Amino acid sequence: MKVILHDLDQQYEKMFSGRYDRVIPADGKYAPCQGCFGCWTKHPAECFMKDRLQQVCRIIGQADELTIVTKNLYGEYSAAVKNVLDRSIGTSTPLSTYRGRQMHHTLRYGKHDLWKVIVYGEITEAEKETFRYLAERNALNDGFERSEVTFIGNLAGLENLL
Amino acid sequence: MKTVFINCSPKKRFCASAYFLFLQRLFVSGQKVSEKLRTPGDHARILEQLRDAQAVVFCLPLYVDGLPSHVLRFLEEMELFCRKNNLKLSVYCVANNGFIEGRQNEPLMQIFEHFCTRAGLSWGGGVGIGGGVMLNVTRILFIVDIALLVLNTVLSAVNTGSFFPRDAWISFGRNALLLLYFNLGVLFYLARMGGHIRKGTFSGKKYTRILIPSFVFILFADIFFVIISIFEGGIFRGWLSRKEYTGE
Repeated sequence: MKVILHDLDQQYEKMFSGRYDRVIPADGKYAPCQGCFGCWTKHPAECFMKDRLQQVCRIIGQADELTIVTKNLYGEYSAAVKNVLDRSIGTSTPLSTYRGRQMHHTLRYGKHDLWKVIVYGEITEAEKETFRYLAERNALNDGFERSEVTFIGNLAGLENLL
Repeated sequence: MKTVFINCSPKKRFCASAYFLFLQRLFVSGQKVSEKLRTPGDHARILEQLRDAQAVVFCLPLYVDGLPSHVLRFLEEMELFCRKNNLKLSVYCVANNGFIEGRQNEPLMQIFEHFCTRAGLSWGGGVGIGGGVMLNVTRILFIVDIALLVLNTVLSAVNTGSFFPRDAWISFGRNALLLLYFNLGVLFYLARMGGHIRKGTFSGKKYTRILIPSFVFILFADIFFVIISIFEGGIFRGWLSRKEYTGE
């Protein structure tokens, strides 16, 4: 399954809908993670907050390829996109294992293929380095085989990268 | 000198960030102000505190290898505020994660450094702590130990008239030393960074963890989650199963 998570306007929905099985718009109309671990310990793979992200981990967890389109923010995802990722830790289980010689959580949905990030907006070279490192870490953490980060100054060329 | 400590955990209570904030405060002198950042409603109050501060210490958990989204929202606003008011703060951070390796906080440290560059602030460095949740549990265990000691002392006084139950004190001392040992790495690096905060100098990025072997940590972490999941019921609701999306 191909999934895209993006923080762009509604006008881009049409561009994404034909190419992806699931489109997750990060429009900021939802609450941030409360750090309760309830999606591990109380109601597995489901958040206690009954908003649009309540079961978002079940979509991301089933993605073979996850594409994230985000504005750069200090070498990190935009707050709206990060909010979605923070609310999706139910893709893993509370049990621990070693991956990449470090402790991580075991995967509820098994291995995935590609963690692909398309970053738009002004960005420094140092922030690019951080973004590549962050995506690598995310891929390892979420059990993706590989990560790929592309930087675009503006959104004109976005369609060709999807 | 004024230092603002910001507890960025979204949890209302018993959070590891509050514990590390408490410890970091011990090693900083001068005027100290503690703030809690949970919602956008906290932004204006905290920014006002920063106006006349020389240093700010963010105490926060690692979320998905980076900063929690509600902290990112605050940093965006803080960047504008600092630039508008030409503030020259030194920024430090104490980050903790649930995994044992403190080094997993590295991306978060880099993100803070980039924030400082954009906001025109001095990046002072930080301490990345592995096993934050379990270290927080040591604080609770210490309180339980004190309560047991008090209880034993009262029972001893009632039964024997002695206010010094030797065995209870030895047991308390042994437990306290063990808990102190688990926290030694954290205490060392927070004390070291405290010196830099006082002087306003660069502390560098340092990583530490709870001082137990990794495989023991994983075993205890798994037991911890099994117990919690039994009490909360998740273990009976398809605890590890592949849940299908049922929305829409």
